[in-house]
Amino acid sequence: MDKEVPGLGSTVTIELDRTLFSAEAVLKTCHWFSKDFAFEICAREGACLSVSLTVKQASVASECVRADFISMATDFTLRERIEARTTSIRELLLAKAFAEAGVLEDSPEGVFGDPIEEEKPDGLFKILSNASG
Amino acid sequence: MRLTTTGSARNFAEGVVGRIAAHDLPQSERVHHIRLLQDCDGAIQDLTGYRGVLAYGSAPTSLPVVDRLREVLTFADGDVVVLEPNGFVRSLYRPREKHHSMFVTERCSSNCLMCSQPPKDHDDVDALTARNRELIRLMNPKPEYLTITGGEPTLLGDHLFDLLDEAKRLLPSTAIHILSNGRTLAWPQYCARIAELGHPDLSFGIPLYSDVAGDHDYVVQAKGAFDQTLSGFHQAARHGIRVEVRIVLHRLTVPRLARLAEFIFRNLPFAEHVALMGLEFVGYTARNVAELWIDPFDYQLELAAAVRFLSERGITVSIYNHQLCVLQPELWGYARKSISDWKNLYLPACEQCARREACGGLFQWAAKKHSSHIHPL
Amino acid sequence: MPRTFYPAENFAPVPNSVSLLPFRFTRLFGKELLVNEAGEYLFAPEGTVHALVSGSFAATTELYKDLKAKHFLYDDTSSPLLDILAAKIRTKFQHIYGGTKLHIFVVTLRCEHSCHYCQVSRQGAAKGEFDMSTATADRALALMFDSPAPHLTLEMQGGEPLLAFDMIRYLVPRAKAMAKERGKMLDLVVTTNLAVATDEMLQYLADEGVKVSTSLDGPAFLHNQNRPRPGNDSYERAIDGIARARKIVGVENVAALMTTTSASLDHVEEIIDEYVRQEFHTIFLRPISPYGFAVKSRKRTGYEMARFLEFYKRGLKHILEINRSGYRLAEIYTQILLTKILTPYGTGYVDLQSPAGEAWNVLVYNYDGNVFASDESRMLAEMRDNTFRLGNVHKDTRRTLLTSDAALAMFESSCNQTLVGCSDCAFQAYCGADPIFHHATQGDMYGHRPSSDFCARNMESIKHLFSYIAQDDPATMGIFWAWLTGRPLPSLEVPCA
Repeated sequence: MDKEVPGLGSTVTIELDRTLFSAEAVLKTCHWFSKDFAFEICAREGACLSVSLTVKQASVASECVRADFISMATDFTLRERIEARTTSIRELLLAKAFAEAGVLEDSPEGVFGDPIEEEKPDGLFKILSNASG
Repeated sequence: MRLTTTGSARNFAEGVVGRIAAHDLPQSERVHHIRLLQDCDGAIQDLTGYRGVLAYGSAPTSLPVVDRLREVLTFADGDVVVLEPNGFVRSLYRPREKHHSMFVTERCSSNCLMCSQPPKDHDDVDALTARNRELIRLMNPKPEYLTITGGEPTLLGDHLFDLLDEAKRLLPSTAIHILSNGRTLAWPQYCARIAELGHPDLSFGIPLYSDVAGDHDYVVQAKGAFDQTLSGFHQAARHGIRVEVRIVLHRLTVPRLARLAEFIFRNLPFAEHVALMGLEFVGYTARNVAELWIDPFDYQLELAAAVRFLSERGITVSIYNHQLCVLQPELWGYARKSISDWKNLYLPACEQCARREACGGLFQWAAKKHSSHIHPL
Repeated sequence: MPRTFYPAENFAPVPNSVSLLPFRFTRLFGKELLVNEAGEYLFAPEGTVHALVSGSFAATTELYKDLKAKHFLYDDTSSPLLDILAAKIRTKFQHIYGGTKLHIFVVTLRCEHSCHYCQVSRQGAAKGEFDMSTATADRALALMFDSPAPHLTLEMQGGEPLLAFDMIRYLVPRAKAMAKERGKMLDLVVTTNLAVATDEMLQYLADEGVKVSTSLDGPAFLHNQNRPRPGNDSYERAIDGIARARKIVGVENVAALMTTTSASLDHVEEIIDEYVRQEFHTIFLRPISPYGFAVKSRKRTGYEMARFLEFYKRGLKHILEINRSGYRLAEIYTQILLTKILTPYGTGYVDLQSPAGEAWNVLVYNYDGNVFASDESRMLAEMRDNTFRLGNVHKDTRRTLLTSDAALAMFESSCNQTLVGCSDCAFQAYCGADPIFHHATQGDMYGHRPSSDFCARNMESIKHLFSYIAQDDPATMGIFWAWLTGRPLPSLEVPCA
């Protein structure tokens, strides 16, 4: 179905379901195709995005423009979902990475594991817990 | 070789630590010594000035004494022993050996399935510390290398810092290696205290059994241990404390060994050494043998891959407690004669072996369980 | 009281919630390549990313354990150990700490060669016309030692620096004295074609501990074709210079770099064989920089990046064969990329740093006192493009140089984490930004990645190295690790059965 070998100036049009592909993912995909293609994006009725890619370089080799485009847009959508779930922990990680030593460090978690020491009111465990608490 | 015996104890209420004098010494030299009376010593001599007396026969004396010893120990002049009020006699230090260790407590915050020194929850720290302070004073000649072991040495709190201070003062050129589960090191204040001691040659040997918490915690039988141990590694590195990674090889650690090697390289690149150790059939191991035992011959591929992985990346690797006939020849360069002299045994098959000198032999208890592939080379 | 043993489920229960840690991915060799925030990679079966995102991942598999151990996800059964991951990230960014380490002094533009690809040199100029003055040298040294870095490198360049030997003799003792005064370590290097090197000059370099970096573009026909000089004997002089320099300065203190031209592209094996013949143990297969005179003489030295990539791949194959035969020859760019991919560490190589190392980690003090963010920026200035001129030693302090408009504009576009195309790229941790390259080739510091030669070169090189990593041939990986650790090449002996 997708064995089109586009010649210079020819256009491939791809219809994408907006509920599956965000505008951002589509734009990023267009960006990566922009060396070889000029593109036009319009919103159509029924939550559809229409992307028209026009070949601008004679050296374009891809036979499967439609398949490649959709594959890349799918991956960018996945990346968006990863980013949405990891943005705040990423910020925390980078803040920790570049903070001064000890400033943003977590205290040790968990039990000490030695029943005798845990029972002592002035034991090592209490001292360490209080100091870090 | 035995290290303990029992007898009949009199005239003292706390442990007496002293150096063995197998022959009579002039009175001016007796103060650190425990006079060992053997059968050939005949009639009662003047024992004034000795710290204590040990005898196989009866030894009437008002000094601290343990006599009528039940088993024969190979005592030699200069050995450091402790006499305990309950009649136990323990050899603590033997100058003629290469490996020396100091036992500091039976308490532990983990409960490893293969622990060779199963923990006991009674507070022995004060008594053992007093004993060990005296031991440090009496070690002669001073050892090149001393391992501090337990239980979990970091549970000593300030006592460990005191012992290390004493060692720094009295054994200034002795390298100290502490075997620890590393969990206490997760607290930066603890690492700061260790670093403050300024000991010239101190390192920690810390076990790590998997690259994931669930597997490691199961082996050490302590929830949260993996997290604390890893944090401990990192805090130690942050404070300039030298660390080494130890891995005991058995059925639970071998399957993900390659992953663990990679984990060590990427997460603990500051570790100065990785020790891959054979399973000791002692302590808890017998109880858990079904889960733990795997013939070392059967994990040679995994072991070789892990050794190759680490040494290719410039990490120093050693293999402990494996016999040469069970290891692939390419690994012989990494095998160390690591079994303490008093634990060491050779099987009948070893009599004809051309490499017996270079090989570390087996543990005493290997007589009960060892590889089916021991053969002379 | 004896303790109880608990079963495995006690320590590894089925998690109630699984959370993702930040990562990037791409599709490679029929698999998915995932790269975490600290640049650690994992090859996973197709569909893994989708399963992770849609939460349909079984927590009992070995792959789940791999993903957890490599910081791609965490769950509520154990700590995500964020401080350790943060420490790993910090290690990758070591290059941003410590201040400017490399200081390049252009002591003269005079040169007796007229290399096709040269961006800057002046032939037939009189002494003094394009030479650094002592006043400029003094100011540049003062600025250099204002850098907080505890270990500095002073690199003397040109033109041909040996033509201004008096200036070398001026700089070296003063730099050493200042290093001693400030308690810093100092490395000294001179970048020279050795054509005019006398034994007396070499002896001076040896006495003062100055290392020599020279050029060897390949066998005689190629080297001389690339680097014309009166008498057309650049190669012969270089070989003679290398021999004498090795004898006087020491073999370990003489290194060679090559420059690739259109003429070089069909001769990669011959170039490499020349390096072996001359007993060098490192070689740097790098593309020609698109700056300065090279733009003018594009016909002679212009070429497509695709041709260079073929050159690089064929070259690396040949180099690996040479290593397999027991001769150690490390390819520098490969070594840099593999350090970023395979080890916990980052790189000191400015062009592959993010934030880009220009100005941060290198400063170029031109003969006239102008200060540039990199060697390439000064070449742009020769084409009357002063975009990356930070200031002048006679007017500026270190602070005003690094907060100049030129510096700030460049810093803004120098983090690949924030650039279009790079921000999602799986290879982000292994690559850099190079705003100066993009300004020069595309007219825009931010750059257009899809048509960028920088991007094409790095992406393809990294993919190529991942093909070796995925194949995991022990002999090949053993050679790479020997390069990375400085240890001997793996033994040629087959281990006995």
